[in-house]
Amino acid sequence: MNKPLHPLTMWIWSLILAVGVVVLDNAWVALATVGVAVLFVRARSDGSPWNATFWWSLRFGAFVISVRVLIGILIGIPIPGTVLFTLPILDLPSWMSGIRVGGAVTLERLSSSVHEGIIIATMIALFGAASALTSPHKLLRVLPVFIYEVGVTLVIATSVFPQLTQSVKRIRKAQYMRGMDKVSLRSIALPLLEETLTRSLQLAQSMDSRGYGASRKRSRYRPAPWLARDSWFVFSAVVAASAMVAA
Amino acid sequence: MITFSNVSLIYPHSTKTVLEDLNCEIQEGEMVLVMGHTGSGKSSLLRLINGLVPHHTGGILAGDISVDGLSTRELKPGALAHLVGIVGQNPINGFVTDVVEEEIAFGMEALNFPPDVMRKRVEEVLDLLSLNAVRARAISSLSGGEQQRVAIAAALVMHPKVLVLDEPTSALDPIAAEEVLSVLHRLVHDLSVTVIMAEHRLERVIQFVDRIIYIEGNGETSIGSAEEILSKSELVPPIIRLARALNLNEFGTSVREVRRLTADVRGIAVAEIDSATRVRTPAIEVDSLTVKYGDDFALRGVSTSIGKGEIVALMGRNGAGKSSLLETIVGVLKPSSGAVRVYQQDPAELAGKSRRKRIGYVPQEPSDLLYHQSVRQECQEADLLAGLASGTTLSFLDKLVPRISHDAHPHDLSEGQRLALVLSIVLSGNPQLLILDEPTRGLDYQAKSLFTRALKEYASTLNYPVLLATHDVELVAELADRVIFLAEGEIVADGSTLDVLLSSPAFAPQVAKIMSPQPWLTVDHVVSALAEKL
Repeated sequence: MNKPLHPLTMWIWSLILAVGVVVLDNAWVALATVGVAVLFVRARSDGSPWNATFWWSLRFGAFVISVRVLIGILIGIPIPGTVLFTLPILDLPSWMSGIRVGGAVTLERLSSSVHEGIIIATMIALFGAASALTSPHKLLRVLPVFIYEVGVTLVIATSVFPQLTQSVKRIRKAQYMRGMDKVSLRSIALPLLEETLTRSLQLAQSMDSRGYGASRKRSRYRPAPWLARDSWFVFSAVVAASAMVAA
Repeated sequence: MITFSNVSLIYPHSTKTVLEDLNCEIQEGEMVLVMGHTGSGKSSLLRLINGLVPHHTGGILAGDISVDGLSTRELKPGALAHLVGIVGQNPINGFVTDVVEEEIAFGMEALNFPPDVMRKRVEEVLDLLSLNAVRARAISSLSGGEQQRVAIAAALVMHPKVLVLDEPTSALDPIAAEEVLSVLHRLVHDLSVTVIMAEHRLERVIQFVDRIIYIEGNGETSIGSAEEILSKSELVPPIIRLARALNLNEFGTSVREVRRLTADVRGIAVAEIDSATRVRTPAIEVDSLTVKYGDDFALRGVSTSIGKGEIVALMGRNGAGKSSLLETIVGVLKPSSGAVRVYQQDPAELAGKSRRKRIGYVPQEPSDLLYHQSVRQECQEADLLAGLASGTTLSFLDKLVPRISHDAHPHDLSEGQRLALVLSIVLSGNPQLLILDEPTRGLDYQAKSLFTRALKEYASTLNYPVLLATHDVELVAELADRVIFLAEGEIVADGSTLDVLLSSPAFAPQVAKIMSPQPWLTVDHVVSALAEKL
């Protein structure tokens, strides 16, 4: 179980399951899928910094659900059913006639919000799992050379963004130490922009100087052939997804 | 191996010629140093060799550069990847993958090397650069020296005939720097690789290089042996300044050579320098301070006190806890146990104006504090924050570095000018304590001596303490009264600069190595000791 899968396997697996979950549109099945993804990520983490992506995607998913529920309570089309509680209706100007803020919150309205939130969060978690187990950098290496520009962009985006949070932290700390209490957007954005641009340019230069895209064919240091295991993986996802679609 | 013929270079939207009519030929197996003031165009010259300039940067290039018979005019950098290996100034910015082994193999994969060749070469290069222990680690978890070695390994694995390095030791502590330089030395001698590098810390590299290309900044360049160039240059390492001060008629570039030439000077008996530190009123008191990140200790039970008017250097290998100590003293990092008092006050309570009045802090990246459109605006903001008359900061800056353009954008300044700007802004509030984190990275000798003078003046006229973390042994010898040496989060040495620097050969400055066993750290020490004698 410790040999790495083909870089594409997890992405295909996630994609197929995501389609299944959307088509079936059942929150319980969606949660079960997330559960399977959790088991997978736990079993197959290899200690790379990307593993943390999955746990971040779960947190982000929880945030999405709570926002969706909050919006569902405040704004929404009235769905008849068991009334849980009633919020005062906000008077809106006449030109906003289609929208109602507040009003009766029914069990049905709440559950449909939760349901939608869960489906969205499942999508996020599935792609979080894929990128946690196969970093976009590995994915890049199986992509064909003729999409060279896409490759460069992908590497820059995926390397610069994680560093971005580090830089923001560092700049804020420096400015706080200087005694700048009111840290404005501008005071962070300008040094950050400068640094990010420099970094991106340097990375592009480095890739170019090391011959990325110079040869039509690429070889692999550790070849990751498509094995029977990978086919089984994808097959299981196809079976699960077709069961969901058929149901 | 490399031929520059009539090379001139101008960048777009600029009137300054970076290079003018450069002609030179670099032989196979030569080690060449590119030196010059900050911002003089050293990096541009290096990147001309594999065509990054002008293919990536734009600019007008006249003349021709050929590497092993291939002209960089027509070929893009990728087409020279098998011939020229290039290691940038910040290797971390050039890493493409996450894991050491994959990073090393990246270039070979791109050029479609067969897998069995790759396996063999990766093993070779891992051994050559002693990276075997970290081969499966994530690059982001490595120390600065290890990252630098990974970058060199990734370039070397292609078996390039030319290796180009931009400031390979600037971020490294003296020991890590020596590791990297000895690897380069071996490559040149055993494998006949041609090495071209830019470096500000001449004292570290000068003994290894065969020739020097000196970029004077106005487009002119001179090329020659180390002796030829350094006998005329303004930028010289302490070893040459010593030779000048002692009026030696010969130059030497290594400690061994100059020791032979100065045997008579060392023989003179001189009165012992009084190295006892004065008793000072403490300004910073650190009491059994422990800082933990998760389960890892950054500092373990550190206790010390720093007096008024004292200049203290904080040294130690990368990751020894220097930054953690600075950050707790400034008050942004909460100690797990123990306490810090700055003028009898907990620094964590300081904020805004009271913080600016108490503590002046210059971060590792000075540009983190700059966000205005021009030098003038930055200085006006500083005046406003400190409640000073308009123009005070600007005139202070003019005193520090004359000829700085007030309308220049801060990001267009050279590193030295930018540091001077940040220093003036920070000092405008007359803080009662000055803290600097690695302030002299990328500074040439002139900028460094300006900086040294400004700090000394601050400490002596106002009687406030200065605390700086640095790897730069020569700077410490010139500037500091006292050195605190950290290792693994503990203080392993704390004493006068003289005692601490002389007790460890790796951290001894060049003059001390030459003059050992005499207790002299800098050229000035030697000169004043001899003057007393005569």
